[in-house]
Amino acid sequence: MTTRIGIPRALLFYRYFPFWEAFFQTLNFEVVVSRPSHRGLIEEGFKFADDDTCIPMKMAFAHTINIKEQIDFLFLPRLLSLDGKTCACPRLAGLPEMLKYSIPNLPTILDPYVDERHRNSTLFQSFSEMALTLGKKSKGIKQAFQEGEKAYFHSKKRMEKGEKNPELFGKAIEKDPLNNKERLGKKVAVVGHPYCLYDPYFNFDLLKILQQSQVFVYTQEMIPKEVIDLEIRGFEKDVYWDSGREILGASLHYLHTTQIDGLIYLTCFSCGVDSMIEPLVKHRIEEDGKILYLCLMIDEHTGPTGLLTRVEAFLETLERKKSGRRMT
Amino acid sequence: MKLTVPYLGRIDIFLNAMARKIGPEFVFPPRTSSRTLLLGTKYSPESACLPFKFILGNFIEALEKGADTIAMITDRGPCRVGMYDVVMQQILRDLGFQFEWVVMDDTRILGDYLLRFNRERKKRGASFFESLQAIRFSWKKVKLCESIERKAQKTRPLEVKRGETTRVLTDSLRWIDEASSFRELALVDQQCTNEFNRIEKDPSRNPPKILITGEAYMVINPHANHDIERRLGEMGVEVTRTVWFSSQITHALHLDLFNPRSKRKAIEASQPYLKHNLGGECNASIGYPILYQKDGYEGAIQLLPFGCMLEAVAKNILVRVSQEHDLPILTFALSENLSETMIDTRLSAFVDLLQKRREKKRDR
Repeated sequence: MTTRIGIPRALLFYRYFPFWEAFFQTLNFEVVVSRPSHRGLIEEGFKFADDDTCIPMKMAFAHTINIKEQIDFLFLPRLLSLDGKTCACPRLAGLPEMLKYSIPNLPTILDPYVDERHRNSTLFQSFSEMALTLGKKSKGIKQAFQEGEKAYFHSKKRMEKGEKNPELFGKAIEKDPLNNKERLGKKVAVVGHPYCLYDPYFNFDLLKILQQSQVFVYTQEMIPKEVIDLEIRGFEKDVYWDSGREILGASLHYLHTTQIDGLIYLTCFSCGVDSMIEPLVKHRIEEDGKILYLCLMIDEHTGPTGLLTRVEAFLETLERKKSGRRMT
Repeated sequence: MKLTVPYLGRIDIFLNAMARKIGPEFVFPPRTSSRTLLLGTKYSPESACLPFKFILGNFIEALEKGADTIAMITDRGPCRVGMYDVVMQQILRDLGFQFEWVVMDDTRILGDYLLRFNRERKKRGASFFESLQAIRFSWKKVKLCESIERKAQKTRPLEVKRGETTRVLTDSLRWIDEASSFRELALVDQQCTNEFNRIEKDPSRNPPKILITGEAYMVINPHANHDIERRLGEMGVEVTRTVWFSSQITHALHLDLFNPRSKRKAIEASQPYLKHNLGGECNASIGYPILYQKDGYEGAIQLLPFGCMLEAVAKNILVRVSQEHDLPILTFALSENLSETMIDTRLSAFVDLLQKRREKKRDR
């Protein structure tokens, strides 16, 4: 029987899964991913999770509990810095320990420590060290790493084009016949952490709601990293969180290129990164005054109806603004 | 230039002493009150952390009082204190304040600060030797303040008349602030020791010892932690805290290599639980209880401002530390909506627990 590696469908999964999957499959491991979020699964996790963290974190607890029986190793990489300048949210960095000390009977955690700021913990080095401890040969590891990178860049290209990756998002948004620029009138950018944007349980399927309301959805994935870096360089402060940097850079880019009509900032309660980035985005947009802005903060008590009402009101206002009618 | 800074322990005494000798002029925010927190909460982003709200409130009040320059330390993550400057500047400018913001971080080289310091010095006509003397004098004052505070922490649980230590402490700090030369400072030192000796004590008591650890701003500032040191002291507990103004400075300047209870040593002690230094006070919060247990501390209280990212990680790990080291640890999440009664109840329950543990140990 092959060794089974478990990956919770949470947090960094929504960006780097193609890489991890290709890497482990080339090395002949079986990859087990937890089921898409649903109510029962999430509530089971809330029992173990600490009450001072954010919901995505609690959801990571839930997904870990979901797969912990079926796997030999739990894969939770610590991506502290991927380009040597930025750093990750500290909660993400401390996640393996938090899980280890909160959930009983957890399988061994594989937590490669990726920090490009130090020479001996680069992405390749950490991953190959991890694979060596699992008994793989260094030649195979190199090949697997290349496969992983290939898969990651491929999926990134697709994301930039606005396609939704079926491996990441399940069947729900597998095909987007509606996402066709010509047919759709309104253009709305949705920014936020990948794990907020792409977990349909978390955001009550916001992206689908928008698509069904004839809205073309832009996300920050559609903007290449170079553009984001350029935008941040023009900003008064060098933002050091990689996620915050992306969100701010993408928002500024959308604002400056004026290709959108409205922007939705999706955030979760008690997110430390968003608490500092959101006011900046909001201020810039309000100063500019050309596009509409909506901040959706989701916590455990948010219901689908409340969210839907706000989104509908937002779209309605957008419509009125576009057609030039005055609000009464 | 009228400079203002956020409160950090006895920073006001330190900077006042320096300002009187070589300048620049400092305008300290008025004592943090409920109005400060109200102002801070009103204008802060919704999920900003508690120190942000306190500091913003302080700045608003200082600007009202006439300050025109704000200096604040920043860093490069992962704690959000590094983003405070942009967000706060934006909020304060929206409120219509005019000011200059001086950012102090490690990306600017130390030489830059020295040059600036030199320029300021020349403007005021103070010689280089004088400036060094001024810094030494201020440093001595802070050290004296802290030694007096430590004395108060030890005396308070033994005092017979409640509140006497606090009164003496307040007096002593005022005297220290007023001293203007090395000689006066030595006299004040003597006077404070006498005053402390004069407090009526009950040496038969054997107070339990509790360590206060956690996020730096919360631990060091009595206004932020609802004066938890005094409360515990008056419940008959000897307390100490992990963060002092001088310890923060020595840590930043790498001068604490030989101190057995330094932040550096605490980070080392946290290694078995958290291999990597995440930044902020996270690792130190984990390591300090382990270190201080060796000094006979029977319990620890972790202060975390609501929504703090790093301390939430530490909180989860402290659960395990508590189990493995047989050390009760109380995590206290501080937010702007805390009632005094609630704090007292939780603290006295914790103290009761420690007393019960003692009795149990004695019976065995």
